[in-house]
Amino acid sequence: MTANAVSNEDIDAILYYADNYKPKVAPPPDGTTAGGGAKDPKQMGDDTPWQWLIIVVLLLLVVVLSLGGVKNQLKNALHERDGKEAVPERSIWGSIVHWSGNNKSWASIFGFILFCFLIVQGWNWAINIGIYGGEEVAHYKPEQPIKFNHTLHAGKMAINCQYCHSSAEKSKHAGIPSANVCMNCHQAIDQGPVTGTAEIAKIYEAVGWDPTNMKYTGVEKPIAWVKVHNLPDHVAFNHATHVAVGKIECQKCHGPVDTQMDVAEQWNSLTMGWCIQCHNETEVSQMASGAQSNGYYDEIHRRLTETPLGNKELQKYLEDEKITVKELGGWECAKCHY
Amino acid sequence: MSTTKRYWQDLGELSEAPQVPTNEFNTPLPFAEALGDKGLTGSTTGRRDFLKFLGFSLSAATLAACETPVVKSIPYVTKPEDITPGVANWYASTFYDGEDFASVLVKTREGRPIHIKGNPRFGINRNPNTKKGSINSRINSSVITLYDSLRQKGPVSAIGDGSWTASSWASADKAIMEGLTKISASGKRIVLLTNTVISPSAKQAIATFQNKIGGTSLAGDDGMSVQVGSKVDHIQYDTISYGGITNANLKSFGKRVFPSYDLSKADVLVSVGADFLSGWGNPTENVWQYAVRRRPEDATAEKPMSRHWQFEARMSLSGANADMRCMVKPSEIPSVVMGLHDAIAKKLGGATVGATSVASADGHIAECAAELLAAKGKSVVICGHNDEGTQVIVNSINAMLGNYGSTIDLTNHTFFKQGDDAAVQQLVKDMNAGNVGAILIAGVNPIYSLPNSAEFASGLKKVGLSVSFSSHADETASLCSVICPDSHWLESWNDFMPKPGHYALAQPAITPLFDTRQWPESLLTWSGASGNYHDHIKGVWQAAMTSRTDMPVDFTTAWNTSIHNGVYEAYTNAAEPLAFAGNLTEAASTAKESVKGAGEWEVQLYTKESIGSGLHANNPWLQEVPDPLTKVTWDNYVCMAPADLLRLTKKTEIKELRIGEQDDAHIVKVTIGNTVLELPAVPLPGQTPMTVSIALGYGRGANGENVGRAACLHNDDGNVMPIGKNAYPLTSVSNGAMKYVALNASVDVTGEMYQMGLTQTQLTGMDRESIIKETTFAEWSKHEPRETYNEKEMLAVHEDVNHDDHIDARDKVPATDVNLWKDHPVAEVGHHWGMAIDLNSCTGCGACITACNSENNVSVVGKDEVRRSRDMHWMRLDRYYSSDTTWEEGREKGEGKIGLYRKMEEPSASPKVFFMPVMCQHCNHAPCETVCPVAATTHSNEGLNMMTYNRCIGTRYCANNCPYKVRRFNWFNYVTEKFGEVNPAWDALGRMVLNPDVTVRSRGVIEKCSLCVQQIQGGKLAAKKAGTPVKDGAIETACSAGCPTNAITFGDLNDKNSKVLAIAESERAYHMLEEIGVKPNISYMVKVRNIEEEVAHVHETEAAHN
Repeated sequence: MTANAVSNEDIDAILYYADNYKPKVAPPPDGTTAGGGAKDPKQMGDDTPWQWLIIVVLLLLVVVLSLGGVKNQLKNALHERDGKEAVPERSIWGSIVHWSGNNKSWASIFGFILFCFLIVQGWNWAINIGIYGGEEVAHYKPEQPIKFNHTLHAGKMAINCQYCHSSAEKSKHAGIPSANVCMNCHQAIDQGPVTGTAEIAKIYEAVGWDPTNMKYTGVEKPIAWVKVHNLPDHVAFNHATHVAVGKIECQKCHGPVDTQMDVAEQWNSLTMGWCIQCHNETEVSQMASGAQSNGYYDEIHRRLTETPLGNKELQKYLEDEKITVKELGGWECAKCHY
Repeated sequence: MSTTKRYWQDLGELSEAPQVPTNEFNTPLPFAEALGDKGLTGSTTGRRDFLKFLGFSLSAATLAACETPVVKSIPYVTKPEDITPGVANWYASTFYDGEDFASVLVKTREGRPIHIKGNPRFGINRNPNTKKGSINSRINSSVITLYDSLRQKGPVSAIGDGSWTASSWASADKAIMEGLTKISASGKRIVLLTNTVISPSAKQAIATFQNKIGGTSLAGDDGMSVQVGSKVDHIQYDTISYGGITNANLKSFGKRVFPSYDLSKADVLVSVGADFLSGWGNPTENVWQYAVRRRPEDATAEKPMSRHWQFEARMSLSGANADMRCMVKPSEIPSVVMGLHDAIAKKLGGATVGATSVASADGHIAECAAELLAAKGKSVVICGHNDEGTQVIVNSINAMLGNYGSTIDLTNHTFFKQGDDAAVQQLVKDMNAGNVGAILIAGVNPIYSLPNSAEFASGLKKVGLSVSFSSHADETASLCSVICPDSHWLESWNDFMPKPGHYALAQPAITPLFDTRQWPESLLTWSGASGNYHDHIKGVWQAAMTSRTDMPVDFTTAWNTSIHNGVYEAYTNAAEPLAFAGNLTEAASTAKESVKGAGEWEVQLYTKESIGSGLHANNPWLQEVPDPLTKVTWDNYVCMAPADLLRLTKKTEIKELRIGEQDDAHIVKVTIGNTVLELPAVPLPGQTPMTVSIALGYGRGANGENVGRAACLHNDDGNVMPIGKNAYPLTSVSNGAMKYVALNASVDVTGEMYQMGLTQTQLTGMDRESIIKETTFAEWSKHEPRETYNEKEMLAVHEDVNHDDHIDARDKVPATDVNLWKDHPVAEVGHHWGMAIDLNSCTGCGACITACNSENNVSVVGKDEVRRSRDMHWMRLDRYYSSDTTWEEGREKGEGKIGLYRKMEEPSASPKVFFMPVMCQHCNHAPCETVCPVAATTHSNEGLNMMTYNRCIGTRYCANNCPYKVRRFNWFNYVTEKFGEVNPAWDALGRMVLNPDVTVRSRGVIEKCSLCVQQIQGGKLAAKKAGTPVKDGAIETACSAGCPTNAITFGDLNDKNSKVLAIAESERAYHMLEEIGVKPNISYMVKVRNIEEEVAHVHETEAAHN
């Protein structure tokens, strides 16, 4: 680097910016609620009225049971007067069985509804087995060998995601940065605001850096990170397509990494339904010129406009006034499975 | 569900107190006898309880398995600058194993070589017109042997009782250097036995070694020729010898070399027993040069479509492609050459050699000679008979025709095939006489491949120090005292000079996996030189470049460019006048001598396209590639004329000789002198009667030697069995060259049967023109409407389309006009991927199959599964023989339908052959898609028939409904160790060869050709990132990139300027089974043969019609 690449004023300005930086509000992960940032999933539904509903139902149940008891007592009193045998004492289950025996069609209907309800519940439960992230299931947030803090690096220090995950726009893998990338900064910064020297020392151990003598020892020890985002082997997801061509913000899939993730976690469910929902909604730019134009799509567009068959297809695409990823084949199996 | 009703089993139960059996069965079951294990019967668990437990544990295990396992991910500590995880790197390198030579590109992923293709920019194997490097299946399959876990892990030395002790390089070096010094002082010979060395740096290393051990030797100017005056003799030995040719060139022109051929300049090409498309000479060069003259569209007045004559005994790959093929016996080969010679000499006034008549071929010889004379200077005659005399006569023919300087180049000859069989035989004698003190063996396996291997073995025992550089403890290495394993070629630095001034570099694509060292580096170490082999090569190049004035001054730039390109073209020698100086009289007598004593049966030995000389016997991909003609995998066998086999087996009909899953092959016994070989017989139409052909290169590891993971099969008892039988003992040495014919044999059936694995059992196309279409060049070049030779398939409809007021069978419309389906929006929308396959360019070599295997992780299943028709190849090469019977003819003769079909099934005795690569046709109206119950196979709007493995439930309806039979079902988890013995790609190391971009399929799913969708997606991504349309030719499938003759063209049919569209719309294009209306995206091009008779035949039938 040239000696005077930055002036003192520049450095002051940078320090001022860093001190007074307020992280941008991250876009909501799924576009559920606009503005207010993403919510902790555990707090979801705090103010919903269904608990009240349960209380009302329980109260009603108590009323029904006590009324039933009163009814039975009245009946027994009548029976006693007429000299008949008293109605036998029944437990709640016994009375349900008794009632069912007397009202077979109603019992069948209720039984069927209960059966369907259980099936649906079971299905919904089973569908979430092995799924992490999303709104309903706990996020996968494994402990990492080094307590790397994304909020600090990507948020407070505002380091571009692709500074470390540099292959995201070149390759299918975003890539876990190699430890030598860490050393670009941490050769100088040996102490952090949260964990002090403890975690940074682990990087030094991995790359074989001797901080006291400021030189590499040559003894390297690879870091075994725990993979957070695990796609099945039969899915061919390509980061470059989404980052370099689709120009999608990392946060769209990975959540508010820069504001809420001290420890990396899986934010979205990464299910196929989640994938293709986005493919269904995302519009492919039709701009023929300007920053959003792409010669590849221009050619595809030209083929659509210049031929009768293509035109027919194009009109179908444009029924909702936009061309989505799905319409260009984004829902086809072999786009992701091969 | 409980019920109050009681049922009694019988009256006894009703009357007595109910005795509910505690067990389900009243009498104790004979478990003890059945299981024989007392521990098992002690259980008190009833069957139902057991089932309950089973059900519970199954569901519990299922649920537990749903938990995502913790996956660790270990990035580089310091990432190499040029590696991006997930992005492939391609490195230029060079393949040379002593037999094949090619400039190649090696694809690596995260540092692992996984795929090999030809170098499209440089090298002698590159077709400058198509800008593709031609390679063959042996080369592109060689990547898998890198991950052979049975390779030697480091130097080992024998401890006497047949076992080995591992040693370190330092101690091995010390022992060997001491041994060499001692032997050198004793005055005994020290011999370095290698294959043909064409590496200037290796030659230099040998020279250094020779200087060190004693004597003086100098490297020549070009770094290639080394003058030997040392105690160390360097003997070169080619497993498949060309000594007859090189010796003949010495006698004819004073140069003991193998010439360079340029078949692209040959209007007439005559091969007498040389299978130049598969193994003879330098096939990677031959193949593309041959193919450029076979496309009728490229034919001009100056460069007409070439005319290919083949005289041979076995139907070889070259013979199958020939226009004119003539069956002769091996013993008649010299007579054919002499016949050609005399016919030409008589016309040109040269000396004749006294040709004798060949009854079966005289007419052809005269015709062939006339054509050669008409194409003087634009023809070539080659001969596969490894006999000096015959080759001198061949040289004389070519000299008379003025072919030297045009189709044959002796000035810029090759450096291949320098082997000296006489020297090897002398070595065997010297060893047995005790004159050899030390032998160092590199790249060859004489104990496997010499006819007198027993003598070699006994001699080897008398040699004090025997060092093998083999990567396996194979037949020869296992008898040596030390094994200093060589690195795999993908781990090695190397340089080669295949022709004067043409330097090729091989750079390692991976650091050595094991503790191995390249053999020239070992020689340098033992000479006391320091530094690694890379530095040595660099030094040699620097010296060579500075010594010549026409070489660049800036060495570093030249060196770096050479590494990048893989090739450095320094100079070519100016043509020098050549005069034929051979002694024809002597040659004629030698030639006649070489085939003297022919008996009733003659045996010809040949090498197969896949296995070659046996070097690649441990390559599972090559073992499973079916032979182009016989379609046999995992075996060698005796090729026989069907009529001969019928006679021996006392059968009457060809179909009784059928070999398949239910039909075993007859074992025949071939006896030559004291050598007996029992092998299964395969009827091969086109085989000369009373001759048999046997492939070399099989029977490796017959004594249990370690020759690699896939080189052996296991029988039912788990014992190791070699694959096929070794036929090298049938070779012999005569007149200083190895002979691959044995002329006095007896052949008989043993009565035993043998199970073989074939992938295709039908023989002919049954006269169905909707599958195979062919015509003649004369017919094609009339340029009449394509209907004359490429008729559209017509379909009778229930409408009066011909307006004759009758609705009958004559109301026909083109099949493509009839449509039952709603079209997919493929044409004119986005991309429309398609492929065009030129059946004229396709030679049937099978390089596409192995390229596909390597790109798409196609499973190897082994012979047993092939027998059950469970081969997993995504593409196959259908081979059809012509039949003497045609539908038209048969109907005219009034033959019954069944008899006619039966006759049409029978191939001619000397048939024409038709090769057709078949992969998924990606039908736009795909029958497979409509029957899949789970929509696992669907159509993309880019024209691809997509297969989604994770959705497939394995009903196999699609495979049943596929008219092309291209779908493959995973009957087993081929990925497991069960198949490890046939496929080393499934052990921990072998898995490194898998392409990480393609899913490894598991049991129970269908798979098929995806048209390399991973490449399509990658190509589209590259275009999107660059913001440009996809360039034509930017996306290649593995088969189209791997085709050495450019027969397969892939591209976008919606791109109006694409090459594939031009071909698919050309007059020769047709779709297979067009009449069924599935609208495939793969087009085939009608095969055009450069022959005349067929025309006459067609006219005859037409005349008969009228």
